[in-house]
Amino acid sequence: MLIDDNEVDLKINAKVLSIANLFEHIIHFKSGESGLTYLKKHIHHPEELPDLILLDIQMPDMNGFEFLDYYKRLPKSFVDSCIVTILSSTLDFGDIKKAEANTYVAKMFMKPLNPKELRDFLHLL
Amino acid sequence: MNTTTVRVLYIDDEENNLHAFKASFRRQYEIYTAISAAEGLKILENVPVNVIIADQKMPGMTGVEFFKSIINTYPDPIRILLTGYTDIEALADAINHGDIYRYITKPWNDLELHNSIKNAYDAYKAKIDLRNKIAELEKTNDELNRFIYSISHELRAPLVSVLGIVNLVKMEDLYDSSGEYWSLIETCSNKLDYYIQKTLQYYKNNKTATDLSSINFKKLITELIELYTYTDKSTNFIINIDQNEEFIGDAFRIEVILGNLVSNAIKYQNVNEENKRVSIDISVTSYGADIAINDNGVGILNEHLEKIFTQFFKGKNQHGSGLGLFIVKEALTKIHGKIEVSSNVIDGTTFKITIPNAKFDKETK
Repeated sequence: MLIDDNEVDLKINAKVLSIANLFEHIIHFKSGESGLTYLKKHIHHPEELPDLILLDIQMPDMNGFEFLDYYKRLPKSFVDSCIVTILSSTLDFGDIKKAEANTYVAKMFMKPLNPKELRDFLHLL
Repeated sequence: MNTTTVRVLYIDDEENNLHAFKASFRRQYEIYTAISAAEGLKILENVPVNVIIADQKMPGMTGVEFFKSIINTYPDPIRILLTGYTDIEALADAINHGDIYRYITKPWNDLELHNSIKNAYDAYKAKIDLRNKIAELEKTNDELNRFIYSISHELRAPLVSVLGIVNLVKMEDLYDSSGEYWSLIETCSNKLDYYIQKTLQYYKNNKTATDLSSINFKKLITELIELYTYTDKSTNFIINIDQNEEFIGDAFRIEVILGNLVSNAIKYQNVNEENKRVSIDISVTSYGADIAINDNGVGILNEHLEKIFTQFFKGKNQHGSGLGLFIVKEALTKIHGKIEVSSNVIDGTTFKITIPNAKFDKETK
């Protein structure tokens, strides 16, 4: 699951993921709200729910951190089975520290997404 | 019509003087009078006074003592001391400790006192104007910095998208499909990204307050080398770190400083040199860290040695941003460090840095 307000990045990263052939299904959303709506709608259909979320930080209305605040209130069964990672181009020291400190963030990736880095991360799990 | 009201506080233990003063000046100024230092202080607490006139000889507290007592709490009003006799000691004390603007003998001459008050008010205004100007400049400077910061972020996001596309092109094996166009796009984008990152680094160095933490140089150097040799592993590093003392310093700035120097040492290697070498020697004492970074790269021309730390200075044929060493110098200044550089054909280029150990400062304080 990709969440990013930047359509170009959404397209690029979806393509990178599909070429890297790491996942069966890739779904993408242009905002935290729409991603959240999807999760809530399918919360009782585990087969529709993502195993991995790649989340952007700087987004209008609901930023990545705000998304995480809602995300953590979703049923525990889902939250425990899903891995959230950040995918951002930020160089903001505060944002980076905040992302690293967040218990729900498993890893912080920098744009452009390096498929090898992602693969290494998935292998470690 | 007088546009500005000048507020004058007059303190004297003789009520007659207060009345006389009020009678002479109430048309020109807003007059506040107090019969004692304590009462004067009460007025100061409630009214923004511009000029204070105090009699020297008062029971309880003298004029100079009063001025001394308010030097920190009310530093702005301009002070005039009135005294009935010439007391050289009081005069010296007033000038040295009371921050007195004028010294006037009693009985006062109306014109003289009037002029003094006028001049005192001008001095007051100049002081306040200057302060406002400084605040204004600080604000503008701050806004400019913030502008640079946010624009760098905004510029970087689409740039990173471009780099993402280049990566995709590589993954789809299209990189060599259009001659060298893709590699040119990649080179240009990386260069632009480098500039933006340096700009942000410069901004952060300017803004961030010093944040002290314990630094392990061995770990830091290893990480930096790993980071900068990621793309090019042809350089051989000889590292010699002697750290038996804890070193407390500003981790962010030290990382910026060493990062720039290590990356330069790698970047400015001689392409044809077979034995590319960078030596890093660090010795840490309780006073500070002495760091020497030496490389056998292209070297720096003697006439350039003076200029390499200035903003946007670039050597001919060098493809740097002209910001790296400037940032190094700025960051070192912030943490009271020093840098020296020497370069010649035999010994190569050496940067020597000294950074004080903040642990030592803390202990001696």
